[in-house]
Amino acid sequence: MKQETDNQIAVDRMRYTKNKFSSNMAILAILFNVFYFVNIYKSDVSDYYYNILIGGSIVFNLLYLLLAFLASEEVKQYNEKYCYVLIAMGLVQFIRIFIIPMQAHSAVVTIAKVERQVMYTSQFMRCVIYLVLSGACCIAGGIVGVKLSRTLKAYQATLGEEKRRD
Amino acid sequence: MANLVLQHIEKIYDGNVKAVHDFNLDVKDGELIVFVGPSGCGKSTTLRMIAGLEDISSGKLFLDGKDITQFPAKDRDMAMVFQNYALYGHMTIYENMAFSLTLRNEDPNVIHKKVLAAADILNLTTQLNKKPGQLSGGQRQRVAMGRTIVRTPKVFLFDEPLSNLDAKLRGSTRREILLLHKRLKATMLYVTHDQTEALTLADRIVCMSMGHVQQVGTPLELYDHPANVFVASFIGLPPMNLFDVTVKGDHLEGKGGFRAPLDEKQQKTLKAYDGKEIILGVRPENLVEGKDIDVKVTSNENLGMNTLVHGHITDGNGTFDRITCKLRGWCNYKSGDIAKVSINRMHFFDKETTNSINGEEK
Repeated sequence: MKQETDNQIAVDRMRYTKNKFSSNMAILAILFNVFYFVNIYKSDVSDYYYNILIGGSIVFNLLYLLLAFLASEEVKQYNEKYCYVLIAMGLVQFIRIFIIPMQAHSAVVTIAKVERQVMYTSQFMRCVIYLVLSGACCIAGGIVGVKLSRTLKAYQATLGEEKRRD
Repeated sequence: MANLVLQHIEKIYDGNVKAVHDFNLDVKDGELIVFVGPSGCGKSTTLRMIAGLEDISSGKLFLDGKDITQFPAKDRDMAMVFQNYALYGHMTIYENMAFSLTLRNEDPNVIHKKVLAAADILNLTTQLNKKPGQLSGGQRQRVAMGRTIVRTPKVFLFDEPLSNLDAKLRGSTRREILLLHKRLKATMLYVTHDQTEALTLADRIVCMSMGHVQQVGTPLELYDHPANVFVASFIGLPPMNLFDVTVKGDHLEGKGGFRAPLDEKQQKTLKAYDGKEIILGVRPENLVEGKDIDVKVTSNENLGMNTLVHGHITDGNGTFDRITCKLRGWCNYKSGDIAKVSINRMHFFDKETTNSINGEEK
């Protein structure tokens, strides 16, 4: 009975408190993404990197940072749509593993008549770990956000409130 | 229970500047004490010493019998409301009110209950998701009060909380504080320079000047029996009229043919002062239209129910002491007119010490 009451209070509390968990997860995802691109751009940029892929990745990283920040602010306010955006961004981070890091790890370039790997295993592992962490944070934040947003929406419906904030 | 005792409290700043002299007070549980006095009289310093925001130079401070003189502010179980609200602009009202409890790692559900209860008391429930910048001054001050209520401290301290509000809002917020006090039955110390606030709110008033306590008493005691000329002139609006007069047996004589008869009781009180100069105090509301004193009018202010008549005592040839009369009804004196008034109550003060001469009532 007490547990039930505590849960009710916890739900009521959501009317006045922010979804800090999801928001912080999105910020953490940004942080890991920063670690990722710091790692990837420190590769030896020889022929391999001088293609459109690296330019696209820079633009994507910038857009990712902006969108993740926007999502962190919106999920804080229990905006369910942005929770889905966050989940989608997390999935994209996993897909990214198979684009630059994986390709660069398997690619070989010739510099001064010496063949070498574009991305060594240690660097590849770091990039993968950061993308996985970033993606996991996004997905965790998004899933928790969806759950909380729906709970709050249902609770507000019982109170006759339509909008959480003025 | 929250019984606060101040024993010989003094505040001495660098350079031997004494801001508070030998302050003694026993605040009973649930009492609302108002410190009143002009700017620089030491009332805020005293409050800050009680709160722990200023060191006590000498003396002792007891809360419920426990010596808390050396306790840091956070351990004194007191909460303070500041004149400038001191709210966090980036936090919502809910977060502002919950902040102190969050810092103490209280259970979020308990915090929630306390914040909602305080918001309900202060009629802030619909504002909880707003930021302080979206609220009016009065609402912000209520939030500042709410922040103290959630802590359920032993003593509430208010440092001129209404000074930033306009006159209308000040009146309504003042009434809210009074209702809050009645509802919480908490011990409260309130600092103001506004005597109206002091008279309307206080269970007891501490009137201060130049770091000294001038008088401690109920609002009625301070109004009816001021201990000295300072209290007499500070409490009451418009301030009390003060005249230098000489005791002449059965009457008083002043400049400009001023003559006020004394009854037997007053003659007895002033027996030791016969032939000497004293200060006569007469409140403007204790002057009525009559025949004893001629007043050459300089201005006439109609307040609706009353009229304030300002002028000088005159003997027909010259003008002497300034005098203000609060006459009943609507008067239409022009500048230069002669208004005839009588005194229906007098206060006597020793000219050297400026202290009240007891038994002054007529």
